[in-house]
Amino acid sequence: MEMFNYYLKLSLRNLSRNRLFFSLMITTLAVGVGVFLANIAIIKSMSADPLPHKSDKVFNISLNIWPNANPSPELLPIMRYDDAMHILKNEVATHTMVHYQTQVYTREVGAASVTSYQAKVRATTPGFFPLTSAPFAYGGVWQGDHAKQVVIGDSLNQQIFGGGNSVGKLIEVDGKPLEIVGVLKPWHLKPLFYHPGHRQAFSATDDLFAPIETALDNEWAINVQSLSTERINSVSDNRGKNAFFIHAFVQLDSQAQINEMKNYLENYSQMRKDGGDFLRETDNRLLDVNQWLELNKVVDKQMLAFGLATSLFLAVCIFNASSLLLARYHSARFETGLRRAVGARISDIFYQGLVESTLVGIFCAILALVFGWLFLQLSLSLFPKLENTSDIDGSLIAIGIAIALATSFISMIYPLLKACHAQLSTTLK
Amino acid sequence: MLKMNNISRIYRSDTIQTHALRDFSLEVKSGEFVAVTGPSGSGKSTFLNVAGLLDGFDQGSYELDGVNIKGLNDDQLSRLRNEKIGFIFQNYNLIPDFNLFDNIDMPLRYRGFDAKERKRRITNALEQVGLASRANYLPSQLSGGQQQRVAIARALAGEPKILLADEPTGNLDSLMARQVMELLYKLNEQGSTIIMVTHDPDQARAVGRNVQVIDGQITDHSIYAPVGNNAPIEVNAGISA
Repeated sequence: MEMFNYYLKLSLRNLSRNRLFFSLMITTLAVGVGVFLANIAIIKSMSADPLPHKSDKVFNISLNIWPNANPSPELLPIMRYDDAMHILKNEVATHTMVHYQTQVYTREVGAASVTSYQAKVRATTPGFFPLTSAPFAYGGVWQGDHAKQVVIGDSLNQQIFGGGNSVGKLIEVDGKPLEIVGVLKPWHLKPLFYHPGHRQAFSATDDLFAPIETALDNEWAINVQSLSTERINSVSDNRGKNAFFIHAFVQLDSQAQINEMKNYLENYSQMRKDGGDFLRETDNRLLDVNQWLELNKVVDKQMLAFGLATSLFLAVCIFNASSLLLARYHSARFETGLRRAVGARISDIFYQGLVESTLVGIFCAILALVFGWLFLQLSLSLFPKLENTSDIDGSLIAIGIAIALATSFISMIYPLLKACHAQLSTTLK
Repeated sequence: MLKMNNISRIYRSDTIQTHALRDFSLEVKSGEFVAVTGPSGSGKSTFLNVAGLLDGFDQGSYELDGVNIKGLNDDQLSRLRNEKIGFIFQNYNLIPDFNLFDNIDMPLRYRGFDAKERKRRITNALEQVGLASRANYLPSQLSGGQQQRVAIARALAGEPKILLADEPTGNLDSLMARQVMELLYKLNEQGSTIIMVTHDPDQARAVGRNVQVIDGQITDHSIYAPVGNNAPIEVNAGISA
């Protein structure tokens, strides 16, 4: 311990005596680590598992149901109302949900203000909540397929009602009053696995959740993404027609359930084929959450390329810092030689260097976290689609500190070894 | 104390081999004061580097205080340098931003002494060289002679078996050189074994024994009167090891 204190004292003296040099070195490393850290933060968020406890048990269902025979390697991730309703009737899955997204205008019923708030709506089924592990703060899910009831998210609850338990209150949705039966806690799902397309993978969770039948009954159709082969007059007109707009997910907790669900889908496909539908070869897919996110290219390939570039940049920073240190050790070889001459072992010099590199690494880590945060904000401002994706959380702070210490050590090791093995007789006179 | 037999040290580059020491044999007994003289490039500094374990050798054998040096690893050599050898360099080699106390403290740290023991030794060493009141001074606040005395104190603090001095007065004016030499005489009288490389023939004559080195070999070996007396009492010219 006494020698550690001595080495620490020597290291602090060296840092103080060579402020400019070490500032340059620490800044060089911190910039490299900071950029790397910011990039890791983005990639980590992009590649995060939104349902870590059951992502391998929740599956998106894709049916190869294009109404023509043209082969296409791409799956169609949306299905018709009738397909969705058939899937919903299955008795295989632990939870099943189908959904589409739209937008509405909302306000408190009877509010003095005429201001309405735009709200993202998830028109879905009760299975949505247990399947996505949506956290309820108050109340629960609606009762009945056509219930005039909704569940609202925390931010809409704050916006309209100022927060608190709003269960039982009425909310005006596109001019019609609906009862609030549930309020969610603040809920961040990254990525938004149940709707990763249309640049929504990193959007906030929805403001309002309503029965899909109620949404159709009320013609909630703003921004509904659909494909169809026949004329559709309104969103409720989608029922029973070749209009593709609904996503379906199931939770299957065992291999037996998975096999059963596959059979269920095969039987359904065959039934439709027998009826003259589904002309293409049967190619139903069950993709778990991570496979589904990968199919949707949630992790931007450009970000991965940028990640590689930042890794190389970090390597260049280490190389530069190492070159700087080599020059410094060269200029300080007299002191190293003197210490060796009066009895310091190579290991003593090495440990002293290790303490110094740790000290440099600590300063570097602090600065790297600051740079990392700044670079992250810069990245988010330059690429708006990354907004809400990333933050430097506790684990990234730990990673940043570890990388800073490691880079400091790596950059110091070669110059240190050179210094340790310098010929003593040539350094002293 | 020091016994070298047929030591050879060869420096090699891509095209040239330089025999810095060849068949160099010397024995120094405890309490002796030996001056090593010779022209520049004669090998006297190489001898001192080998003697001080700062450099290795290619052939021969070397015993220091009964320890055979050949085959020792770096840790063992470092320990011997720390415990048995005190270095006094021409350039003093003090760390400029350490005060005198910390400069002398350095070798004692590697010896593993506790703080109390280090302080005792540092105080004694500074007293021996007459600088006890300046422990907190920086080297730059001292004259050249005083700095060399600090270097001597650093060498003494470890209570070494042998002091190796490489032209200790080479950077000093005559007055300061005399003060440093008087200090070395005094230390020798108190029992220290000293080997000193010097260019100064007067200094060489003033010590008990003079070894002249030319082309890496001992060419002259003279025994003089006791320290301080310039008159030679015995001369063995041309003794070649």
